[in-house]
Formats: sequence, C-alpha cells, structure tokens
Amino acid sequence: MSTADPLALRSHALRAPVGLAALRSLGPWAAVFAIAFVLERLIGPYLPGYYAKVLTDVGIAIVLGVSLNLVNGFTGQFSIGHAGFMAVGGYVAGTVTYYGHHLLWGGIAKQGGFLGASEWLFVAGALAGGIAAGLAGYLVGLPSLRLRGDYLAIVTLGFGEILRVIIQRTDDVLFVPKDIEAASFTTLATSVGGALGFTGIPFLTNLFWVAVAVGAVLVLSYRLKHSDEGRGFLAIREDEVAAEAMGVPTTRLKVRAFVYAAFFAGIAGALFAHEVGTTLNPRELGFQKSFEIVIMVVLGGMGSISGTTLAAIVLTVLPELLREFAQYRMIAYALLLIGMMLLRPQGLFGIHEIWDLSFRRKKAAP
Amino acid sequence: MSGILEVDRVSIAFGGLKAVSDFHLSLPKGALHGLIGPNGAGKTTLFNMLTGVYKPDQGTVALEGRRIDGWAPHRIAAAGLARTFQNIRLFKELTVLDNVRVATHARTRVTVVGALLRSLAWTGEEAAVTESAEQLLGLFDLASRAHEQAGNLPYGDQRRLEIARALALRPSVLLLDEPAAGMNPQEKIELRRLIQRVRDEFGLTVLLIEHDMGLVMDICENITVLDHGVVIAVGTPHEVQRDPAVVEAYLGTGH
Repeated sequence: MSTADPLALRSHALRAPVGLAALRSLGPWAAVFAIAFVLERLIGPYLPGYYAKVLTDVGIAIVLGVSLNLVNGFTGQFSIGHAGFMAVGGYVAGTVTYYGHHLLWGGIAKQGGFLGASEWLFVAGALAGGIAAGLAGYLVGLPSLRLRGDYLAIVTLGFGEILRVIIQRTDDVLFVPKDIEAASFTTLATSVGGALGFTGIPFLTNLFWVAVAVGAVLVLSYRLKHSDEGRGFLAIREDEVAAEAMGVPTTRLKVRAFVYAAFFAGIAGALFAHEVGTTLNPRELGFQKSFEIVIMVVLGGMGSISGTTLAAIVLTVLPELLREFAQYRMIAYALLLIGMMLLRPQGLFGIHEIWDLSFRRKKAAP
Repeated sequence: MSGILEVDRVSIAFGGLKAVSDFHLSLPKGALHGLIGPNGAGKTTLFNMLTGVYKPDQGTVALEGRRIDGWAPHRIAAAGLARTFQNIRLFKELTVLDNVRVATHARTRVTVVGALLRSLAWTGEEAAVTESAEQLLGLFDLASRAHEQAGNLPYGDQRRLEIARALALRPSVLLLDEPAAGMNPQEKIELRRLIQRVRDEFGLTVLLIEHDMGLVMDICENITVLDHGVVIAVGTPHEVQRDPAVVEAYLGTGH
C-alpha cells in the first residue's frame, strides 16, 4: 500500500464546524437527561405506582431487546443466553448496593434524595454489573464465536443454565450488621441468596435511571449502526466470507458485538434487581427470559433499533393488559415466532428503521 | 527480480485429493494475467488459498515482497490482495454505498469510541469514507443507485458493484473469479473495457479466472492453464492456444 492514505488526508478537510459537531455529539445526551429528568421529577410524582412499574419494565425490556439486537440482529449470530448476562449484572450490582449500604451506612435505607449518595452507589453498582457481564460475554464469546450459527446458540444456552445452577448454590443473604462487617469480600460475593433469591436489595431503580439507560442504549446503538464498525457487523450478517475478504476482522467484531450486548444486559439486570416488586432469583432469569428477549428482536426486525424498541414496548404492555391469559403467554410467543419465521423472517421492519419506510415508499412511487 | 505477487510451489489437498499441486506464479506490477482450465481444475481453490480462505499445505505466497500465506483473510485483504467471487457475494440487504464503505474498514483509523462519541476525527473520517466510496461508484456508473439495496440491482450492476467494492480496499492486486459469468455479449464488451480501465487507472495487477475464452485471449498478456490442480501450460494467449497439452485438457485426446 502507498504510504499516503487518501482517507486520512481527506478527513481533516471534511470536518464539520466545531459548534455543529459538538451539538451533534452532545445534543442527544442533553435530550436524554432532559427527558429522564422530566419523567422522574415532573411526571413521576403524579404517576400511580402501577404505571411507574410498567414504564420501568418497558424501559428494561427496551435495553434488553435493543442490546440483543446488536448480536442477533446486526451481526446475525444467534444468542439465546441474554438473561444470563442480565443475571450477572443484577447480582453484581445487587451485591455492591446491598452490602455497600450495610457497610457504609449500616442498613439499606436510602441515603440522600434524588441523585443522592445511594443513587450514586447504585450507578457504580450498575456499571460494575455491566462490566462484569461484558467480561462474561467476552469469555463466552471468544471461543464460541469462532463457531457458526447453532453452536453459538447451544453455548449461550449452556452458559445461562450453568450460571443458574451456580447462583442456586450460593449462600443465604447476610443481614446481621456484625456478620457483614466481619465477612470477607468472597463471603459477601457468594452470599447472594441461592435459589430463594437475593432479597433486601434497596429499591433504587427509578424512572430517571431507567430513561438514562434506555437513552444510552438507543443513542449508542444508533451511532454504532451508522459507523464503520456497525457496517462491519451488518456485513458479517449478510455474508461472513465476503466480509472477511473485504478486510473486516469478523471474529473480533463478533466478539465485540457480544461484549457490547452483554454490557447492556448487565445494566438491565442491575435496573431489574433494584426495581420495586421484583426479586432477583435464578428462576426469574432463566431460559424463558432469554427467549422473551429473542422474540422482541425477531418480531421487531433483525437489525432495526426502532422496530425492536416497538416490539419491546408491545410485548411488555400486552401481557399486562391480558393478565387473565398469562399462562398462555409462552404458547402465544411460540406461535408468533413460527408465524414470523414463515411470513416475515426478517421481522416487521427488517434492517430498516421505522422512519425509513415512508421515505422508501416515496422513492418507489414514480 | 521479484514480482508484486509471487506464488511459489503452493499445494493443497483435501483428504486424498490433491486439489492444487506445486503451483507457481509470478506477476509483475501491472500485469493482466489469465487463469484458465476445465471445471474442477482448482482455479477457485487457488484463489481461496491466495486470499487466506484455505491455508496452503505447502509453498509460499508473497505480496509486494511480504509473506502472506497463513494470514487471516481480512489481513490479506487489508494488505492489498482483493477479490471478487464466482457466485456474486454482495451484502444484499445493505445499500450500494454501504457495500463499498464496508471495504474501507481496514483503512479507517478512528476507533469505535470515536464513532460512539461522534468525535471530530470521526465525522471527518466518515465524510472522507463516504466521499471516496461515492467517487468509486461514480467511476462504475453506480452513483445514481447508491442508496438502493444491493440485492435489488440488475445482474450486470451487481458484478460491477462487486469489483467496485473490492477496489475500495485500495488493493495492489485484484483477483477476479469469472466476472463474465452470466453476462450477455454487450455486457461482456463493457466488462472488458472496465477491467482494462481499472488496471490502468488504479495501477492494478489483475489475475483473472474466466471461462469465456474470447475475453481471456483478448485482454490477458499471459495465461496459466490449470488441469487437475497442475499447471499444464504458461504463455501468451497465442502460445497457449497451440499447446497440445491444453488442447488435450479441453477437448480430450485424439485431436
């Protein structure tokens, strides 16, 4: 190759003005925090508890669906272990906040109000959970992503089940202050409730942090989709051999997609663990949960961020509306999945975003 | 002297079958070399070895003096050896523009962090990538179709897009695997002009697998003939056509 790279030479000349670039870079984040603030402080107080919980569930579902979309949608791999990464995040975050509260403040009572000390410990715990889940994703992904298709599905399924068994074997949650203070780090990390679940985690998930997580996963995956690496993901999905032949390091990118997705699953797990009215237990985060997330991606569109978001909303709200038929939910999911595979295997929106569709129709008309 | 692509005694076997044995090729810069042979002679297998899809059992491949055998395909592509496929392998659901932009992956420098932050460096690079992809599409008369799905293009356009995509790697050597397959005579004439133009304008070295003898004899300066994985003749089109071994391979004995 010649020494002067034409891309590098041109790229300086083509930069947007600094102000505009800063707006494009930071604008979405300002919007995310503004919306999160309005939801929590202006709408939240008037929202009945039930609706706030459904809204929180919807938010968590969006984070899960959109993140899994990076693997199953963009990159075309088939992971059915997303709930496993969610569990990693939830348990790590729960350990940090539960024992953190005990050690720092002698109990699980919330310290400070909105954006107070407890919430920052929660943020730290959630990030630790996300990072732990991402790390787990790396360890699971590195060997298995060299394999194709079905094998990955089997490995991810196995990972989820192994994790479930490990969590079931953990010790009871410690709650006597002097036991907690005397316990070693390892003891604390393995005293997370076993099969009964991790009870006592402070309820720190609120609409603000849910909205921030949703905003983050949406902004970041949109930016990823419209970037060099995102195009690499899509190319792998379309044709792995051709992608590799066009200079795309397919194994590395597959592992990365897996790690990004696992990170956000971990964040979602942290939000779930600290939500009012949920108990973090291994049963809850088993295969069935993974399957629900897969359905969101398949239904919404393999590769469509907005489609997956819409599917996550519908699939969370609908069971609430149809509570009396709850036991038929999995049957309905299975039928839905079979129907989609037969009629529209690429999902409702395929690779496109919802706003692309009207545009395409206009172009096709004349 | 050594050429831009040096293939020395390359062999590969699948089970007991020697698909290619002791293949030798030396391409000087700017060459337009043909690779012909009956079906199953090992031509595509050879391409797959050169591009890293298969690892040769023996022998060496050197690109611009650098050993590349045993490298992963994406590294070989980034090093400057690009290819097209016998059965078109576009990213069908991506747009025409994105098909080309994928191939710039190896040359971009800004990391994913820059992309996620939408940093200044990233916006500049993305604009440069897009601009160079659009220029390339312009050269191939595909600019007006940049935002269409690649899978929806007519056949001839898909073939051209595949070549355009390979060129986005800024390769020094381009391997074309039966680019004229399925083309009508008019499209073949255009393809011939295109290959020559690409070679001249991009300063490329081209290795061409093709079954259309008219095309190969017309544009290639030299030809290697492969049969049962073995080179049976090398020379100018004129020499190769008269070679008894070649006639026998194509037509059988008794001619």
